Amino acid sequence: MSLAEVETQKGFIDVRDMGVTFGANDNKVIAVDNVSLNVQPGEFVSLIGPSGCGKSTLLSIVAGFVQPTHGKATLDGKAITKPGSDRGVVFQQYSLFPWLSVRKNVEFGLKMAGVDQSKRNVTARSLLDLAGLLSFENHYPDQLSGGMKQRIGIVRALATSPQVLLMDEPFGALDTQTRVVMQEILTNIWQQFKISVLFITHDIEESIFLSDRIYVMTARPGRIKAEIKVPLPRPRRAEMTDTPEFMNLVQELKGLIREESLAAMGPELKDRGLSGFGMKVGPKGVGEIF
Amino acid sequence: MMGTTASAKIIAIPIMEKPPEPATSVVTEVPAQAPPATSDLPAPEPEPIPTVSLREVFQGLLAKFTRDRLITALLGGMSIAALFLFWYFGTKYRLEFYIRFKNVPTPNEVFQQLTQVGLSNKYLVNIAISVRRILTGFFIAMLIGVPLGLAIGKYPRVRDFFMPVMEILRPIPAIAWVPMSIMLWPNNEAAIVFITFIGAFFPILLNTIHGVHSLDQVLVRAARCLGASELRLFVNVILPGSLPHIFTGLAVGMGVAWVSLIAAEMISGQFGVGYFTWEAYSLVDYPAIVLGMITIGVLGLACSGIIRMVGILLMPWLAFAPGGKR
Repeated sequence: MSLAEVETQKGFIDVRDMGVTFGANDNKVIAVDNVSLNVQPGEFVSLIGPSGCGKSTLLSIVAGFVQPTHGKATLDGKAITKPGSDRGVVFQQYSLFPWLSVRKNVEFGLKMAGVDQSKRNVTARSLLDLAGLLSFENHYPDQLSGGMKQRIGIVRALATSPQVLLMDEPFGALDTQTRVVMQEILTNIWQQFKISVLFITHDIEESIFLSDRIYVMTARPGRIKAEIKVPLPRPRRAEMTDTPEFMNLVQELKGLIREESLAAMGPELKDRGLSGFGMKVGPKGVGEIF
Repeated sequence: MMGTTASAKIIAIPIMEKPPEPATSVVTEVPAQAPPATSDLPAPEPEPIPTVSLREVFQGLLAKFTRDRLITALLGGMSIAALFLFWYFGTKYRLEFYIRFKNVPTPNEVFQQLTQVGLSNKYLVNIAISVRRILTGFFIAMLIGVPLGLAIGKYPRVRDFFMPVMEILRPIPAIAWVPMSIMLWPNNEAAIVFITFIGAFFPILLNTIHGVHSLDQVLVRAARCLGASELRLFVNVILPGSLPHIFTGLAVGMGVAWVSLIAAEMISGQFGVGYFTWEAYSLVDYPAIVLGMITIGVLGLACSGIIRMVGILLMPWLAFAPGGKR
């Protein structure tokens, strides 16, 4: 299964001076402002920031759904203009086709590419085996749990052998337990496929656990605030989240994000902080309540 | 200490997600002594797969169904029996309380009528002709309504062009088309089929449009990412995704088609169940009126039943859809 040691590594995402503006005149909203970032071949890069900072917009551009107002995005030197099977995308919402069986869902991209039935079948089954869901190949998506659906979403995106995998908060809808397991599964799959990943999240621990590099975005308009390398060794294990190195990174990122989360809630809150509003920890006595 | 407990905790999490099967499914294989992963790289874990005993699932379903079905059948039988009893006693005692049962034929008279006329050639020919008209009008409506609805739903420009005309024509009931239809078409048969078509067309069209609009856009995006071209997107995503709404449209359309057909046959027809019923009224043959009515009811029921069955066969996934579309 392993596609190890690919000589000419592909999957280089380059985003240059990207700006995205929605609406016009009075309703104009700058979603993303002057962002440059890149993902090296085979690298796992996370994009983290407060909600509404335009990180999903950035991913939509790389996926080819949205055209940037200025700047450009390229994959291996070629400009990205429309969606294509060279970029696998995993969405936050479950996006399996409910009318297709699990296996047919995984086969979908290959079918679109004109691969014949028997080859599709073999590829889909080996991918389902990788996801640990081969015994569910004939089930319908509505019969599966959220974690299962998302695992199938990941291998479906990998079926057409894309150069990069774009993931938009793929585990956002899962419970904490499932999430931890899914993160480990994802690192395994990523190491086997040696594929570039651009991963959107607002979960700090998740981004550190998974990534080689993390871009922190500011509140709207979204800019790159910081770029952090994650020096933790690979393969990553769940136990690593208790090491001091991990904790330090969490603290560092928390500091960076908190400022932006406050800013995202309004300029007054950023200037004064929560205490600036006279918020107290709790009433000292009955007299203070009335 | 902290570290070890944490790691132990994490290792012990079994990757096991039960599919939401009925409670009767038996999940075996709980990893009692999950071996602590010693290798550096946790290879794709041999997951404990919930094994479901098929027999037990079926037994459970069967038990549930028979019980459910029994009650359903019982209530259904009771409602039909109540109608029948009302008719029976109404005609037996010739009830007169604003509505008058004076001239209404008794169930027995209608039954006699059925045995006399029921198997006659004339009666069966009338049924055959009505069915042929329905099927022709309905299938033409489906063949035009579904593709047009998909196109209108998908492309705003197509919508801009077609919808104004549709919105003007839609409120005109099919019966109001009868005079125009007789003028328009070369023969009576074509005119009646056209009226049937009009009745079926708009419910099919509008529900198809609605089906496209209510399709989750993330599915369209996912298909595009997987390399679907425009045509393949239609065939592989938009059509199957809209299918539940299309079938709603077909069922409603079939009902309206019958209403339109019977009205058209009564006004302008020769032959057909509607004509049979109206002719019976002209000839003061009261039992035949009721026989005609019952025939129309049974035919309508059969037609919508067939549509529902085809729907179940074509859309097996709906059995598992949240909210139970069925």
